[in-house]
Amino acid sequence: MKYAFFVGCTVLSRLPGYEKSARRVAERLGVELLDMPGSSCCGTTYMETLDRKTALSLAARNIAIAEEMGLDIVTVCNGCTENLTKTNKALKEDSVLRSEVNEILKETGKQFKGTVEVKHYVRMLKEDIGLDKVKGAIAKPFKGLKVGSHYGCHLLKPSDEMLFEDPNDPKVLDDLIRATGAESVDYPGKSECCAGPVMGIREKVTWDVGMDKVETVKKFAHAMATCCPFCYITYERCQFMTETNPNLPVVHIPQLLGLAMGMTAEDVGLGLNKVDASALLAKQEA
Amino acid sequence: MEQTEIRITAEGKEFRNNVMATHGADKLMQCYQCGTCTSDCPVAKRVPEFRPRNIARLAIYGQKERLLDGDLVWLCAGCYTCYERCPQKVHVSEIISALRQLALIDGKIHPTIKSIVTTISRLGYISEIGEFENEMRVEDGLPPAPTPATEEIKAIMKKTGILGRVGGA
Repeated sequence: MKYAFFVGCTVLSRLPGYEKSARRVAERLGVELLDMPGSSCCGTTYMETLDRKTALSLAARNIAIAEEMGLDIVTVCNGCTENLTKTNKALKEDSVLRSEVNEILKETGKQFKGTVEVKHYVRMLKEDIGLDKVKGAIAKPFKGLKVGSHYGCHLLKPSDEMLFEDPNDPKVLDDLIRATGAESVDYPGKSECCAGPVMGIREKVTWDVGMDKVETVKKFAHAMATCCPFCYITYERCQFMTETNPNLPVVHIPQLLGLAMGMTAEDVGLGLNKVDASALLAKQEA
Repeated sequence: MEQTEIRITAEGKEFRNNVMATHGADKLMQCYQCGTCTSDCPVAKRVPEFRPRNIARLAIYGQKERLLDGDLVWLCAGCYTCYERCPQKVHVSEIISALRQLALIDGKIHPTIKSIVTTISRLGYISEIGEFENEMRVEDGLPPAPTPATEEIKAIMKKTGILGRVGGA
């Protein structure tokens, strides 16, 4: 199986551990993730709140690159997933809007045609690869490891646009965590936003929101697993901003999968996590 | 005590119409002020002046200055919890999005958001991914990042007028 891999600015520039583990795990499952030449920022989730046409055009340009490759898009960021999914849906459904956006895109030499799909990495694993195949690749399962999943917002919401799982009762991350042999624990406030987008407006709000979840997860689990770069950064950084001893490891979901598939800590870039996550290695079967 | 009728001025009405003419914000008048949006809002829990219900109320009464002065509309985290749970499908997140668009038409934008927009037009990314970053990527066992066609990005952002509106190059 082949996909156009839309990594997104924040993962490209700041989270090599996420990208590396996502690539290695895909490889192990026989999934080819091809780079998208000339791709750029998806537009950020802010752009549609400033000017919808700009947001649609920036996202459509990236989608057009995947269309030229003849491949569906796989993303690893909730924000990118939302922008690309919404744009893809809006432009496929509304031919007037599509013409307007294609008029804006004219100078770029690219045109949106509406021939590909957009999926977050975890959705691709669930819907295209299948949980059974993921489970079949587990070689060194975790034992006695408790993990709190954090889905973030834009993987699931707005639900009438994302058309994936129920935002009040999502499954995919918990299923993937369980596939690694770890226990996926429930905790109060699981579906709450990380407030990452407010970091640049009023930083303290983000640290407070982040620490509320960190403190809660600590009571129930050994680590937190995320599937979005902004959530990940928030939950790591809030610990450094407010604590002298940050000690809740936050891992990218493919890091957990990769380790359980028998990859080394280096293979999944575990040493690149800011909060030491090496304790996870002691909870694997030999 | 005599109760005075709450009136909306002509300017207020025009402002409200502009809000409702923005994509996704057309159901503003369906709001019956139940407050579900506020009780479920992660920002409202920590910021007393950020009340999505009040924002909807102020928009209904066309209170432009109270809405657009200061950083009120820029405090929304965009989590869509209010969007999901509103019994009237008012979608307060979309009302706030409409308010940001109207603020921008008046040349008002939060400096952080402004710098994100101008950075995208300059770099094609929201952060620098140059030679140094690519060397780091190779060290981490990753391929160099795609080189974004910045001229194409700039052309799009000039054509839609966003660069002019945020006061960027």
